[in-house]
Amino acid sequence: MLDRLGTFLTRTAGNKDTAERFGMADFLAYGYLLLGVLIVLVPVLWTFFSSIKPERAVDSFDTRLLPIAQVQTEIEGIGTKPEWIHEAEDGGERKVFKAGPTRKETDVAPIEDPGDVFKVPRTQLRPSEEVRVATENYLDPLLKRHGQENFTFGIYLFNSIFVTAMATLITLIINAMAAFALSKYRFRGRLTFTILIVATLLIPSSIILVSLFFVVWSFGIFGSLWGVIIPAAATPTGVFLLRQYMLTIPDELLEAARMDAASEWRIFWRIVMPLSLPALSVLAILSVIWRWNDFLWPLIVLISDPEKHTIQLGLTQYAGEFDTDFHYILAMTVVSLIPITLVFVWLQRFITTGIATTGLK
Amino acid sequence: MSLAATLMTMLGVLWIGGGSVWLLTRRSYKLVQVPSFLMDLVGFPVEYAQSIWGRGGVPYALLLPNMLIFGLFTFVPMILNFYVSFTGGTSILLFNRPWVGLQQYADIFSCETIFEPRTCSNAGFSFWTGMFNTLWFVVIQVPVLCVVALVTALVVNKNIRGRGFWRAMFFYPVMLSPVVIANIWNWVLHRKGVLNEMIGGTRDQLSVMAGMTGFDIVMTVLLAVVLMVVSERALRSSDTPSLAWTTIFGALLALLFGWANPLSLIGLGGSFWLGGALALGLVLIVSSESRHARISIIVAGILSAALLISIQFDAVFDFGRYRPINWLVQPNTGWPFFWLVFVFTWSHMGFYMLILLAGLQAIPSDLYEAARMDATRPARAFWRITLPLIMPTLTVVLVLALIRSFQIFDEVYLLTGGGPGRETFMIVQNIYEVAFTNNNKDYGEGAAGSVLMAVVIAIFTFFQLWITRRQSEL
Repeated sequence: MLDRLGTFLTRTAGNKDTAERFGMADFLAYGYLLLGVLIVLVPVLWTFFSSIKPERAVDSFDTRLLPIAQVQTEIEGIGTKPEWIHEAEDGGERKVFKAGPTRKETDVAPIEDPGDVFKVPRTQLRPSEEVRVATENYLDPLLKRHGQENFTFGIYLFNSIFVTAMATLITLIINAMAAFALSKYRFRGRLTFTILIVATLLIPSSIILVSLFFVVWSFGIFGSLWGVIIPAAATPTGVFLLRQYMLTIPDELLEAARMDAASEWRIFWRIVMPLSLPALSVLAILSVIWRWNDFLWPLIVLISDPEKHTIQLGLTQYAGEFDTDFHYILAMTVVSLIPITLVFVWLQRFITTGIATTGLK
Repeated sequence: MSLAATLMTMLGVLWIGGGSVWLLTRRSYKLVQVPSFLMDLVGFPVEYAQSIWGRGGVPYALLLPNMLIFGLFTFVPMILNFYVSFTGGTSILLFNRPWVGLQQYADIFSCETIFEPRTCSNAGFSFWTGMFNTLWFVVIQVPVLCVVALVTALVVNKNIRGRGFWRAMFFYPVMLSPVVIANIWNWVLHRKGVLNEMIGGTRDQLSVMAGMTGFDIVMTVLLAVVLMVVSERALRSSDTPSLAWTTIFGALLALLFGWANPLSLIGLGGSFWLGGALALGLVLIVSSESRHARISIIVAGILSAALLISIQFDAVFDFGRYRPINWLVQPNTGWPFFWLVFVFTWSHMGFYMLILLAGLQAIPSDLYEAARMDATRPARAFWRITLPLIMPTLTVVLVLALIRSFQIFDEVYLLTGGGPGRETFMIVQNIYEVAFTNNNKDYGEGAAGSVLMAVVIAIFTFFQLWITRRQSEL
């Protein structure tokens, strides 16, 4: 009996012939995955759960999972006060508020009867708490309430989306054109061009920072969004990825189109582009990740003008200004990770298989 | 009007106006063909090239935009870097910059010895501090990243439930931006953050448990049983000991060494590391299937029994009060550097894992089947089949990880800002600060730093490719 229970618990997926027993190696593998959950997902989820906590809970580093806040009650003639529970010696409990400063013997008054002030030892008071989702963490900066006017989320979002979409579009078109030329034509200098593109693969972007700044400055696009979009639009990775894919498109298709007197551009646009859609979408995803998360170059080009900040820059500036307002910073962090998370959840199978099969960075 | 704007306007007028006229005179479009017309307009230069030079001109026209951007924004800056590094001053106009020859390099190299950044001039001090920190970082980061990525790839390549989910989970941090990553970890690693809270709570609970009577005896017996079971399991199989169980045994052995602290008898610290080294040796002996595998496990077992008896468990688990550590700020502890490596691995590992995973899946499965027929042990299959066949991919990952970690900036800048002091100050941050954030923006020095950095990266990459030249795919 115990033997069969053991078999039942330790067998793995598969039919009777292929299934293996759940061995030590599987045990270690699942242990590793559990550790992975702890290290990868828990910090992100913890940030999310912290971001819906009220300001006081965040400031006092309350490590309970739920957003627990002290109840605030409106008392006639006095205003809003935090609510406490007074536990008398006989075990009776009353809801009170503090009528004076906190001392060893504190003045309190019952909520129902604000006039009846009496003294109780501080140790008999405990905060009256409730679970409350602090939507104000999100709404204050987004709707610019309560003096939170510096996080212009709409502008940041627009800039980020503009940069990402434009750069991706340009990248796709010009990389596909170059890849088409390198894969489907025989012409003088093909090898030279290929080698030139390989060479750019080996030049890390951060060693040309200073002189790229000079180039971008002299073109007059420094400080504008185009200064971020254009310099990185041509990617050697993209050209290679697309070229490898286009090599698999049979030449006969192109010849047939030429028989029908289609121009070369139409062949590119009507035949080659639709057929390389899988590779194009991998490049599109990569490009979106790169642009959306780009930090150093936008920091150099766009930092001086708050109207031009992308989400990443805006969030950095915001976190720097309000070093202590953790509840707002956490909420805005969550806001800025939501779009990319949604894209990821939606396309994750596609992204992971796409990069695994075609992509190097 | 700036140069670019003038050029763009002229180009736009020519392209859209001229292109429309050119296309409309040659081809007839129906009203429904407006999208098609617009697309032809986008490709107008290509069409035009074809009409002038025939099909032979088309590839050049197709390559033009890409090569223009490569040329202007990669190759020109590459050359310009040298020029800028020979000029001084703070002018932003290239021709206003005075030629200073090798002065910038001389500033950086004006040290008594470059291995002691303190003896340098200001420029040299920040450059060489950044350089040596970065070298340390790369030397630690690259192996850590590769090993973690390989282990993760091996795990998610196994026949486990929910493989898609696990892959996605490990890849997810790659999608997050450095700012988000920095905010998340700042929050977790804060002095009053959840990590300190968890450590403190666990320690307090353990201390309370250790204070109870009989804890010592119970712990000793418990560990003895665990050790016996594990070593018996390791030795059970008929021919060579089991590697998985030996690994667990090794981990326990290292722990016992740490607790019993035998080196304190001769007045030395670091018992845990000695134990770790012994355990690693044991695992290596077993995985190489040496004849002495059994006997070494038995010897280690006897050793661990002796250690076990000497441990005072209530003293080991009485931690006292926990003083929270400021993980990212405490100087001279090495923690900021550690967390930097950790966060960098956390955020980049998924990408390399996917590349390695693709490599693992390209290994033909009949090799493993054949190995199973011959009753090859999994460890041996790993060393003899998986590792040699994954080597080309691993080389690619090594080179990519090297170039990537050399350029680390975002994570450091946002997590520690290079501090405490200059402990995590990296080379790219040096270039960025010298050229862009100082009051007198010293572009020349920044450019000189970039050139030197490029030289170091090139040396490292070629060195690495030379070592792994037989496996290289690049």
